[in-house]
Amino acid sequence: MNFPFNRRSFLRGMINGTAVCVALPVLNRFLNGSGTAYADGTKLPVRFGTYFWGLGLTDTPTGGTRWVPSKTGYGYEIMPELESLKPVKDKVSVFSGFRVIGDGRPNLVHWSGHASILSGVAPAAADRFDGPSFDSKVADAIGTATRFKVIDIDASASRQPVSYSTRTGTTFAMPETTPLVLYQRLFGSAFQDPNSDDWKPDPSIMLRQSVLSAVEDQRQALMAGVGKDDQVRLDQYFTSVREMENQLAMQLQKPEHCQACVVPTAPKDTPRSATVDAVRANTKALAKLLAMGLACNQTRVFNFVHTAGISETYIAGESKIYHQITHDEPIDATLGYQPETSRLAGLVMQAFGDFLIELDAVKEGAGTVLDNSLIMAFSDTGYAKIHSIENIPMFLAGRAGGRHKAGQHVHTTGESVTRVSLTAQQLVGVPVGEFGTGSMRTARPITEIMG
Amino acid sequence: MGALVLAGALALVGITPAQPPDQPSGKGTPTKVALRRITESQYRHTIADVFGPGIKINARFEPEKRVEGLLAIGSAQLSVTSSGFEQYFALASSISDQVLDEKQRATSVPCKPSNPTQADDACGRRFIEAYGERLFRRPLTESETLARLKTASTGAKQAGDFYAGLKLALTSLLVAPEFIFRVETAEPDPANRSQYRLDAYSKAARVSFLLWDSAPDQELLNAARSGAIHTRAGLHQQLTRLTSSPRFEDGVRAFFTDMLQLDDLDNVVKDPTIYPKFNQSVSDSAKEQTLRTTVDLLVNKKRDYRDLFTSNDTFINRPLASVYRIPFASSGDWAPYTFPQSSERSGILTQVSFLSLFAHPGSSSPTKRGIKIYEIFMCLPTPNPPADVDFSRVQDSTKATIRGRLLDHMSNPGCSGCHMRSDPPGLALEHFDGLGQLRTMENGAMIDVSADIYGVKLVGAQGLGKFLHDDPRVPACLVRNVYAYGAGRATGAQDGDYLSNQTKAFASDGYRLPDLMVQIASSPEFFKVVVPTGVQHPPSATTAATVPLQKSGGVRQ
Repeated sequence: MNFPFNRRSFLRGMINGTAVCVALPVLNRFLNGSGTAYADGTKLPVRFGTYFWGLGLTDTPTGGTRWVPSKTGYGYEIMPELESLKPVKDKVSVFSGFRVIGDGRPNLVHWSGHASILSGVAPAAADRFDGPSFDSKVADAIGTATRFKVIDIDASASRQPVSYSTRTGTTFAMPETTPLVLYQRLFGSAFQDPNSDDWKPDPSIMLRQSVLSAVEDQRQALMAGVGKDDQVRLDQYFTSVREMENQLAMQLQKPEHCQACVVPTAPKDTPRSATVDAVRANTKALAKLLAMGLACNQTRVFNFVHTAGISETYIAGESKIYHQITHDEPIDATLGYQPETSRLAGLVMQAFGDFLIELDAVKEGAGTVLDNSLIMAFSDTGYAKIHSIENIPMFLAGRAGGRHKAGQHVHTTGESVTRVSLTAQQLVGVPVGEFGTGSMRTARPITEIMG
Repeated sequence: MGALVLAGALALVGITPAQPPDQPSGKGTPTKVALRRITESQYRHTIADVFGPGIKINARFEPEKRVEGLLAIGSAQLSVTSSGFEQYFALASSISDQVLDEKQRATSVPCKPSNPTQADDACGRRFIEAYGERLFRRPLTESETLARLKTASTGAKQAGDFYAGLKLALTSLLVAPEFIFRVETAEPDPANRSQYRLDAYSKAARVSFLLWDSAPDQELLNAARSGAIHTRAGLHQQLTRLTSSPRFEDGVRAFFTDMLQLDDLDNVVKDPTIYPKFNQSVSDSAKEQTLRTTVDLLVNKKRDYRDLFTSNDTFINRPLASVYRIPFASSGDWAPYTFPQSSERSGILTQVSFLSLFAHPGSSSPTKRGIKIYEIFMCLPTPNPPADVDFSRVQDSTKATIRGRLLDHMSNPGCSGCHMRSDPPGLALEHFDGLGQLRTMENGAMIDVSADIYGVKLVGAQGLGKFLHDDPRVPACLVRNVYAYGAGRATGAQDGDYLSNQTKAFASDGYRLPDLMVQIASSPEFFKVVVPTGVQHPPSATTAATVPLQKSGGVRQ
């Protein structure tokens, strides 16, 4: 089959002139007709990200909810703890009433919730997942055409860098934790400006490729006589090698022009701090860089941690951290909820609002980066005081290139959290029909929000 | 035998069997029994040993994982993520650039190429084999060498520079899984071919990483090559050499950094409005103080391990002097110091490292401290809090001191089960705030530091130090930790007899750490082979191999 025009003009035609950048490898795959991800032929692959914050939202058993809207469908009312989502409300769907079903597995506090949402199975131990987190499947499906398959970020300034993204269940991603480090990764010396006119392939890249081929040559010999668990770990190692090869291969191709890409300047390094205000500022600064990383086509998949499951964030000058307050603070009899905990939850959600606004601020084609993304946001618990894994707050933000009928509130009574996870995967084009195991196995996405 | 003949016949007619022929009974193929990602400090020590201390290592390393109290156990569960590999790759390139820098190459390359603008396989091979052996901790296979020679020659041709090719070959060794992971290999035991033993190079690495926190040096590799390490005398000679070297200190530091969880000090955050004296320099100094104290007491002075909980001989520097509120008059960076009785300090538990690590950003935490005292020093882990604790019954306490607030918790049946156990040792340390500064009052009330630990009544940090000094579980826990750290695996009930015998030997040697390390590293259990499940091409001897080991009590799948 011959095309009577060049490949780029062809692609522009297919997306109705929307000036969004597309890297050539996508185009190659598209023209070869080998991929299924682009089967509908009219939509660009969207970006996908997870956003995690610790300690849930306030929803007391006595009914003092501070986040579940009473109205379902479009036009849900803004609840006090969701105040920060107001400016982007039409691009955010709220999911309430979803829960983790452990099938006899214990509720491992501050762990079972997000482990189940991401891996589809309640974990057996509190330091691992019983399967890969699904973002890795999304990255395999939509993340291979950019320099980075996935970018992991942790804004929390916790004791250890926090990531819940894993391919093996035991090794978790190494996140970028400061704006400066994220900047260097995305826009440092290996970055190639997609809008630069004098692009030349760097011959040293081919030499670096030969370094990796020597490693890969030995793969078979190394794998012989290795136990099962170690095979999984070596597989992950070689996956990482291939991702590096992919990065190098990308750098040998002239990047496609990206209209929305404006290369940012290097941010200043900031002192490490875990106060609510500092983590919020860190979240905002990291989100700004991430948004441009997406617009400049450096990655299409990300995982963002705002605070960890056992969040160590605190208000400056207060001796108790947020986590302690959620457990210790009594329910105010008049109000029907914990006032200080709820105030902190609202503050933590402000960072999520900031995050989305940063993605919405980058104009891209007829919309924004947020419009061409889908972000699944969730926490480790529902009502944190009692480590509840019922009614875990979950959100889908961004229009996913038009596939997400955003701005709705979906309420269920006790359905599995994995339904939201499955929906997210299908919205971004992962060829997957079901997700989860045991009672959390589901083949039913939430169709009312799918366009 | 028949199978071998058949294989030979097939080869003659140009046909290769798809599967390797079954090994005759008792002639199992080498089996990789463990794969442990090397730690950041092992990486740094190895690079300094192999290429010299001048090599700069500027990179972020992937987070490590503490399992059953030790990163050394967690290292056997870790892999390399894509961003982690990016870091290793960039670091490897930077190391190769430094090693083959124009000024360095005369010393780092063992030969001269016939023409520096072209590939030279003979010289390239010498370089690759020499450094490959140090980095992989065993001689390279011919195919491993050839793969790097190919890289070197391609690079030399493309760049018109022999050394550019070598850089690529060295980078390739430095990012190889055989370097980044410690691959421990077992082979059929020649004395009893139905059993496995750790091969000589894996043994050498185990000893070297335990005692020097680094890859084997040339002499140790030679002892592996000659097989001397398999003999009692040969092994003992190496153990004596390694523990007599000044580099034994590196091994001891690495062990205590892991056991005392001092690596976490790199990430501690404190609220500056509550602890204005805290900063990165204080937390770095706190780690160094504890390591200096420990090495001086246990290695230099060869004192009783239990003195670590009562001795107030330590070292301070200027940032710490400010936190401890003591004068610092030395002109050097560090100076020896002995805390007076009135300071209420008692050993390493009362140093800033432990006290600030196990606390909140804005307050102390008797619960965290208590849990860590049990876990780190007594090997008594605290189970995760049950999810069904009825926190709704917890009401805000108005008590001024943390003790008062915790006692309110303890009167709540949902909380008391754990807090009755975890809090008392921590309550004894309450005269030290979340940074480790001495105090006697909290919110205007006197702080009571009495505690009752399993019926033993004691008062304050000094009482707690004495309690730990005298509790037999404390040296037993150290024995377990040294073994688990060196062998890289969690211990279980089946190790009970072995550990108990080692603990007795430790006691009769006067609780000297260097003797304990040698004692453990000379025991056959230290090199015990545990064949993992699901080995590809399982050798026929797999099952047989586990039988005699079970008798000695140590197989853990």
